Amino acid sequence: MNKRVATGVVSGTLLAVVSLLGQQAVPPPGSAPGKTGTIGLYRNQPLAPPGPAPKLADGTPDLSGVWLGGGGNDADISNPRGLKPGEQVVMLPWAEDMVKNRLSKQDPEANCLPTGIPRGSPYPWRILQTPTHYFILFEGNIHSFRQIFMNGKHPDDPDPTWYGHSVGHWEGNTLVVDTVGFNDKFWFDYKGHPHTEKLHTIERYTRTDLGHMTIEVTIDDPGAYVKPFTTAGKATLMPGAELLEYICQENNQDLQKLQGPARGPGEQ
Amino acid sequence: MRSVLSVAIACVACLASLSPALAHHSGAAEFDSHQKIDLTGVVTKVEWTNPHAHFYIDVKDSSGSVANWNLELASPNVLIRNGWKRNSIQPGDMVTVTGIRAKDSSNYGSAAVITFPDGHKLNFLSADDPAK
Repeated sequence: MNKRVATGVVSGTLLAVVSLLGQQAVPPPGSAPGKTGTIGLYRNQPLAPPGPAPKLADGTPDLSGVWLGGGGNDADISNPRGLKPGEQVVMLPWAEDMVKNRLSKQDPEANCLPTGIPRGSPYPWRILQTPTHYFILFEGNIHSFRQIFMNGKHPDDPDPTWYGHSVGHWEGNTLVVDTVGFNDKFWFDYKGHPHTEKLHTIERYTRTDLGHMTIEVTIDDPGAYVKPFTTAGKATLMPGAELLEYICQENNQDLQKLQGPARGPGEQ
Repeated sequence: MRSVLSVAIACVACLASLSPALAHHSGAAEFDSHQKIDLTGVVTKVEWTNPHAHFYIDVKDSSGSVANWNLELASPNVLIRNGWKRNSIQPGDMVTVTGIRAKDSSNYGSAAVITFPDGHKLNFLSADDPAK
């Protein structure tokens, strides 16, 4: 699907989306205050009350809402804290060399380009569900969107893109998103873990209760890694939040200041 | 007016507290936690922009010469959700700023804490008084 068609799909589904948003079980921003707490970087945020994961009128799990977190360890995807227990990231030799030689200023994220899948960010995101397409709207970084073709098929030879071509289906209460057709440009983390166009990801989204969602992402790239590995993250609902505009390109003064090898935020 | 620029011993804790908000790049690649800054001056400009808000201050040294410093904050999105407003700091405000300096040693830094003459404080991430 080309971008013009995709844009039309987005526009055409907005009305449907509005009706779905109205079905959220979480009170809208500005309603009666409940408990507050810190969610990620954000303090004094309304917290979702205890409760079961909601469902849409047709029984489909309702993933809608503004969420924070759930991606892999964005400092270093090989950090066990961001992986399923027992998982290991084992690179092919060329990939190891690339990680050693990459520079921080080369990170696409620092250049206001997409972070791909499953790199996390401190900015919230939203899932929109329509009968045919699901959308993930990212506040940052960068301010962009993914589209998931529900019960669709991958094209035989997709053009390589930053977010690839995603098809989704439900396995019980878990949304499974299968994506191929990536370009080789985004980094999995600040450290610079690479991938190739052979990358194939399988994401599994399970809303475990009203305020939480587990996200597992299996990364299979025989061009860069010895074997597939799976990240494990947890997203938290931000019931008091709306997405804000975030145009990274507007005033990115940092790029010219970045020095040295690619590394995590706190790693000197 | 206090007009001190001190490049002092490391403040690793400062950097650690700032790092998560440097969302679109590695903070460690940009700022040197060993170069602590402590500046007092008048705000000359505020840029309420992504990926980071910036404000600029004129800092006068002991000889009377003035240097304009560019100081970085988290993004407006992070600041707004943590109690900042776009006019929380404005041109003409007198402020004292502590933080860390860019690795290239230019007049560019990451502002950890901003203190106003009446004692109220803002910080890199939020409008909450960091002492509380």
